[in-house]
Amino acid sequence: MTRIRLNGKEIDADKDRPLIAAALANGVDVPHYCYHSGLTPVGSCRMCQVEVTEGERPARVVAACRTPVSEGMQVETQTPAAQAARRECLEFLLKNHPLDCAICDKAGECQLQDYTYAEGQSEGLSAEPRRKLDKRRSLGEVILLDQERCILCSRCVRFFEEVEGQAQLTIAGRGANSTIQTFAGRDLSGNYQGNVADLCPVGALTLKSFRFQARVWNLTKRASTCGECSRGCAISVEVLRQGQVKRIRPRYEALVNRWWMCDTGRFAFEGATLSGRLEGAQLRGYSGLEDCSTSEALAAVATGFAVHTNHVFIASPWLTVEEGRDLVELAQAVGAVLRMVSPEESGLADKILNTGDPCPNRRGLADVGIESASAPECLQLCTGAETATLVGERVVNLVGREALSEHDGKSRLFVFDTQALDAARVAVQVGVASWVERSGTWVNADGHESPIAAARSAPAGVCGTQGLLDDLRALVATCAPGSVSR
Amino acid sequence: MVIVKRKQLTLGERLYLPEIVRGLSITVRKMFAKRATRQYPEEPLVTTAVTRGQPRLAMNPDQTLRCVSCGMCEAACPAYAITIDAHEVEREIEREPEHFEIDMLRCILCGFCEEACPKEAIWMSDELELADYTRASLVYKLDRLVRPVSQLQGRIDYIEEINRRWNN
Repeated sequence: MTRIRLNGKEIDADKDRPLIAAALANGVDVPHYCYHSGLTPVGSCRMCQVEVTEGERPARVVAACRTPVSEGMQVETQTPAAQAARRECLEFLLKNHPLDCAICDKAGECQLQDYTYAEGQSEGLSAEPRRKLDKRRSLGEVILLDQERCILCSRCVRFFEEVEGQAQLTIAGRGANSTIQTFAGRDLSGNYQGNVADLCPVGALTLKSFRFQARVWNLTKRASTCGECSRGCAISVEVLRQGQVKRIRPRYEALVNRWWMCDTGRFAFEGATLSGRLEGAQLRGYSGLEDCSTSEALAAVATGFAVHTNHVFIASPWLTVEEGRDLVELAQAVGAVLRMVSPEESGLADKILNTGDPCPNRRGLADVGIESASAPECLQLCTGAETATLVGERVVNLVGREALSEHDGKSRLFVFDTQALDAARVAVQVGVASWVERSGTWVNADGHESPIAAARSAPAGVCGTQGLLDDLRALVATCAPGSVSR
Repeated sequence: MVIVKRKQLTLGERLYLPEIVRGLSITVRKMFAKRATRQYPEEPLVTTAVTRGQPRLAMNPDQTLRCVSCGMCEAACPAYAITIDAHEVEREIEREPEHFEIDMLRCILCGFCEEACPKEAIWMSDELELADYTRASLVYKLDRLVRPVSQLQGRIDYIEEINRRWNN
């Protein structure tokens, strides 16, 4: 630790990190575009200039991201010299920036926009026209590049070199002709491309899937946890008008994902908002599955538990710890065999974040005492028992939708899934909320507990799994085995 | 208890007829004076460039919308009357509203949208009448909001003049 004086206040700074890190850690906002805590500082944007006095030497203006801290250093961020240096740099950055904030998806969370309001002047001095470049250059499936907006901070270049491990972007051309390009015009590849859209301090690299989808200030952001692998990256789920999930972005979590997340998780919401949701409850009647109220459906399930013996419960790995605990209690009350269906490895495992195990809460459910079993084992259990209860989102797909609908065992299926299963053996099915509509806790592969939060309300008629399990538990207590005649 | 003191009538007032004549003379004079009221539905309201009627979207002569759906009017609207969804188009300005809705029942005709618009696309027109049989039909979509620029030119010139005066 090194003592330095920042804007007249004595602070402790980490001597291995640049001066800007000390300033940001102490709540002093120093403008910066190229500096990112997760990447090597390069000092290319020159926006973090501050005035530094060391010992007897006269004060000088330096880039805070490339200056190491030294004992007794005096730093001033708001002196006229530092402000003028920043303002002049900003004007050069804006020289070729198109100022098309009205159509830019970054507007509202753009650092260039923010600092221009805070520090810049309203009119430029340059009389030359802005350079005209490609505004819609596709860099593969995920990313779209607007070369006019780019301020050449090189964050994206460093991300691929340092985090993803393979250089994919570079600054090509010299001087005023510099542009961001891929090598030989190839598309970007890999499972981490989406991160460069978050990293980009301006609107140059944007997500194709988010293009013109929403203005960012209209999005409601909820802190949650990614459910696509057992890493459990901290994310923020962003919802437009209480309904549509528009994007998912990583949230800084030092112990899990730091600033990043993989594209599998980033675009998973497209599955979460999938149409064809099972809304409300259905009960097997004389003419097939008929709509009924949730309480009727639960009563039928409880009666089924009382009338039959030999029950099997299959849990989805998306259940939260709280739901898992309730399910264990219910299984004990009914006397059922309880297993979590464990899908095969997704094949997406890498050295950065993705673990390849698609169960976000395997560890949490194991901790509350739910053993896992492979899909064929679960299917065998289901067909062998008199009643099989499938609980949680995607559980039908994981056990095998086709196999469940075709099986010729005698078991009755009670399904609590997000999507309907149209099979002759289904006795009761109730629609449940998906992971963007429920709250609870997941435990990742390393034992890190993280919350999931309901980012939007479930469709009408869809209940939370925990409420259903609690109601079912109460019903089972009232109709004990033998109290209902066969 | 309140005691109201009545005014003592003068002799002229007690004679009754002079007062009747005075009153009738006012009536007769007003019959020939300029009328202060208007037969509203038959005689429409006189509107000028200053009239702040319902907001309308300007359409260029080449049939393109000026609006790029930046959401500034949506953000400025104090009544939350505006809802916009954008989509991509193949023009140089890549963005255009896919849906643009103004809930006219919510709109309070304050003109903040006109002031917030960076693209001179939304203007307070001189259209004021708002009557229909259902609430849903009073949520105006693009088809009922778009007007050729020429129709809004009076207002545009007036606002430009005001801005010029303000800036100098």
